[in-house]
Amino acid sequence: MTFLCATFSVLLSLISVSWAAESEVIPPGDLADSASLQEATRVLEEEIKLAAKPQTYVFIDLVTNAILIKGRGVELHRIPIERWSGSDLSRLVAPRRLRERPQVNRRKIDHTAVTEQDPISLVDMPTTFTLKFAPLLTILVLSNTDGNPWQWTLQQGRVWWSRLTAWGQILRTGVMSPPPPSLNLTVSLDHAQSLAWTVTEGMPFLIRRPTP
Amino acid sequence: MKRVLLCVSVGLMGLFLVTLVQSSGLPLPKALTVRPATVDPVSLRTLQARYKTLAKQLTQLMPTQPYILVDTARNHLYIKRQDQVMLDALASTGSGTILDKPGDSKRQWIFDTPRGEFAVQSRLANPVWVKPDWAFIEEGLAVPKSQADRLESGVLGEYALGFGKGYFIHGTLYTRLLGKNVTHGCIRLNDDDLKSVYRLAKVGTPIMIF
Repeated sequence: MTFLCATFSVLLSLISVSWAAESEVIPPGDLADSASLQEATRVLEEEIKLAAKPQTYVFIDLVTNAILIKGRGVELHRIPIERWSGSDLSRLVAPRRLRERPQVNRRKIDHTAVTEQDPISLVDMPTTFTLKFAPLLTILVLSNTDGNPWQWTLQQGRVWWSRLTAWGQILRTGVMSPPPPSLNLTVSLDHAQSLAWTVTEGMPFLIRRPTP
Repeated sequence: MKRVLLCVSVGLMGLFLVTLVQSSGLPLPKALTVRPATVDPVSLRTLQARYKTLAKQLTQLMPTQPYILVDTARNHLYIKRQDQVMLDALASTGSGTILDKPGDSKRQWIFDTPRGEFAVQSRLANPVWVKPDWAFIEEGLAVPKSQADRLESGVLGEYALGFGKGYFIHGTLYTRLLGKNVTHGCIRLNDDDLKSVYRLAKVGTPIMIF
């Protein structure tokens, strides 16, 4: 009987070890919760398709609050999300492709210049920017403005401006098409710049949504 | 007119309240989350098994052999094998600057290190640089007609690893610039790190650049 118990315990521990190893891929959350398991499974199915190709992709995990740059299923870089909000997330099933990377003021090489010309670096990257995708999705990346009211005002101005322009369009055209799904991500200033640096045109984005 | 103004004011107030809620970090409304589906225990077990199978499939896509990882923002090159870091080297990557192509103001070179997944395609010892057009134009020189006039030895270090479209991991004479974005897209390393990369990387070794 003791032998049976011991064997059972060893088997049980082996099973949990194997779960733990594979769970590192995308943590399923509560294994007994069907909704979170369904969402994790959906994301895994999509990620396998992305990881099968020689490319890097972005995985936004709204459950663990992290933006992961990945390739072949390997986490290459992690950006913690401080806050997020969004609308119409139920439509975010298939991966999205980035239409255009954030604008950066690139310096032009001038061989007649006498002084050394600075290259672009992380500090040149924007701290607040909008990413637009196909199929329709808009991600507004904001940097944390805690303790910086001026930055906060600027960011809120940007958010309001985008809403007002959307309103203006409705008033002008008289057509009120359903707004595309949108996501607002707040990260630290450095991480916002890092994300702006990393993303490229056509890069796939995969999003894992939270369950109640 | 008054009615329109009233409508706009109410709308703006509403937007303001939404903004306040969003920026305050208050709990999200249920509409933002995925609705749970009721699943019986058998379906739950099937779902758990499916998750496990998929997790295994994804794990199998991960490289088991050493791979090269390049962080272009922080200018570091790593050689990793699963979770183990075998080498962490300071590098120089693309400057992101632009150079106009002569005679065509609409076309230009952009000196970025390409992002994505690549593989080592060639391993060269004592490489000779075949200077491309931009290297002459950048210096204000005429592009030579003869191929022999493009060859320059000793500037790429002792080794070079090609990963396609003229991009290489190679050495540098300008070691003081390591850690900065100064190259035309290639990845520069110091002599010791270059030697280690040459030793560890084979043709086909994956290179992930972000």
